[in-house]
Amino acid sequence: MMKFGIFYEISVPRPWERETEKRVFDNCLEQVALADELGFDSVWCVEHHFLEEYSHCSAPEIFLTAAAMKTKKMRVGHGIVICVPEFNHPIKIAERTATMDIISGGRLEVGTGRSATWNELGGFRANPDETKKTWDEFVRCLPKMWMQERFGYQGRSWSMPVRAIIPKPYQKPHPPMWVAVTSPGTEIDAAERGLGSLGLTFGSFHEQEEKVKSYRRIIANCEPVGGFVNDKVSTVNFLFTHEDTEIGNKVGRRLLGTFNFLAAQLLACREAYPTKSYPSLGLLPALRREASGPGDDGGVPEGIAIGDPERVLRACKKWEACGVDRVNFLLNALETVPQEQVLNSLRVFAKHVMPHFQDSTSQAAAAGGGR
Amino acid sequence: MPRSGRMDVQAFAARTAREVHGYKTEPWLLKGAQILNIHYELNNDTVDDLIPVTMRPAIPAYGIFNVTHYPESPVGPFSIAEVRVGSRAGVRPRGFVLRSYVDNDTAARELSQRWGYPTTVGKVYLRAFHDRVVARVTTGEGKNALEMELLDRDFISGGDVQYISSMHLARNQEDSKLVIVQLDPEWVFQKAERGRPHMIALDSQAWGAGDLLRADYPISASYTVCDVTLTKIRYVCDPEQDAFRGTTQVAA
Repeated sequence: MMKFGIFYEISVPRPWERETEKRVFDNCLEQVALADELGFDSVWCVEHHFLEEYSHCSAPEIFLTAAAMKTKKMRVGHGIVICVPEFNHPIKIAERTATMDIISGGRLEVGTGRSATWNELGGFRANPDETKKTWDEFVRCLPKMWMQERFGYQGRSWSMPVRAIIPKPYQKPHPPMWVAVTSPGTEIDAAERGLGSLGLTFGSFHEQEEKVKSYRRIIANCEPVGGFVNDKVSTVNFLFTHEDTEIGNKVGRRLLGTFNFLAAQLLACREAYPTKSYPSLGLLPALRREASGPGDDGGVPEGIAIGDPERVLRACKKWEACGVDRVNFLLNALETVPQEQVLNSLRVFAKHVMPHFQDSTSQAAAAGGGR
Repeated sequence: MPRSGRMDVQAFAARTAREVHGYKTEPWLLKGAQILNIHYELNNDTVDDLIPVTMRPAIPAYGIFNVTHYPESPVGPFSIAEVRVGSRAGVRPRGFVLRSYVDNDTAARELSQRWGYPTTVGKVYLRAFHDRVVARVTTGEGKNALEMELLDRDFISGGDVQYISSMHLARNQEDSKLVIVQLDPEWVFQKAERGRPHMIALDSQAWGAGDLLRADYPISASYTVCDVTLTKIRYVCDPEQDAFRGTTQVAA
């Protein structure tokens, strides 16, 4: 049964006055609390640095801890934590995530990735040629750091003598692990390592269907890096729905346009630094393409969850048919959608769309949930 | 709200812009071009004044310092040096050209009239040594406009290199109005290298930028040998409007 999550970049418009950033964070946490009541399955947030206006989510572990405190059932997910030593030491990742898992009562999901912008890689003075390699090394180490009482390592990008890395995660053997899939072929990396595919772009339905088939075929014979195989496929989408078709389309298109405009201004690694390590321009242009692709009669690109509930339901059903297990929704950009409309959109989705994807018990909860 | 350009285009054009003679030029195929590109982060506080409102600065602001030698062309061999500000026209990456120094009078005139290049005649030197590739640009008055190097040459694939299209502020000969001409060259790579960028000298005034052009932090350097096609002009923009509203298609 397909599940639905919400996904945060935490986009803050200028001017960055003291109250502006606080209001955006408060709005996000209010959305998280409502989404939990309404039956959304998970909340995810990115780790980004220096991405002015686009994403002020540089300390996702803090945001996710607050989200865990405000919710009872939702899983909380790093989407993703950057596995590059200049950004995060692997010991700190293991310690932080274990603590978050304990505090959230075993609701943590750990997405992994490597960053794709010069803003970030340059800012931390990370070598773009190295990021895929350090990611691979980190994801092999993390499960051992969580599972073994003591851990020591002499590796390529980092080493440590034997120590007890504590605390240990609440979930046993450890939280589910994922990989951000943006560059072509990363879904294969995920499958070979027994990791969930945290798709941050989706391309066409046909392309996604092929990727999911390939992922499932390979993961069936994988060599898992962790204590278990996480064979799930998630994708990201935008969400704005309203009972009034015109409002749904108009406000939703504004959300897409704003995101598109913002993301374009950032500097993809490949644009400034020639390297084999980044064969594509990464997440941002891919998301932009999707947000500005060919539209239907309402001007909304195929597969985007924008419009009235019937249209959003059709889009989600298509993703389900492609084999996607979970869709994570981006709800706002630059606060272009007023908070009340974001909250209403979540309620409309829960009332009209979510029941078509739930068993009878959950349907009753969704129908009665929310304020 | 997101930042955008705030250049005084009339004042800037008075210093740099040349006349473009319609938008009907045929393509030029320029074989065996040697291109040295150095990327530097630019000062974020001044860069918005170096691009027209048509465009938005990349974040972080960056400049592309380019020196190219064309061993053959319809007007004979020539070398050209450009400073481009990495920007966005709408959502697309583009380089806004501040000024182009060309070491061949005829080439300078043809490039301006055909594609709106903001050309000025000067000395342009490009030389590849085993340990480095060196470029030096000298103005007609003998001032050192730019001196830069790629150090520690290392082979990569041409597919690893991402060049972006250029935007030229020019004056349309037909109505004397300012226009931004978009040039979308095509590149077929024969060889590509990467190395450490080293900026030795940069004179902001020499690029028509007053004291606003400041190279703050090195990003990358590449050196390629490739065939370049300067294609037909497809789009022009109004320099007083953002690219979403002010872009006109002039050819398929």
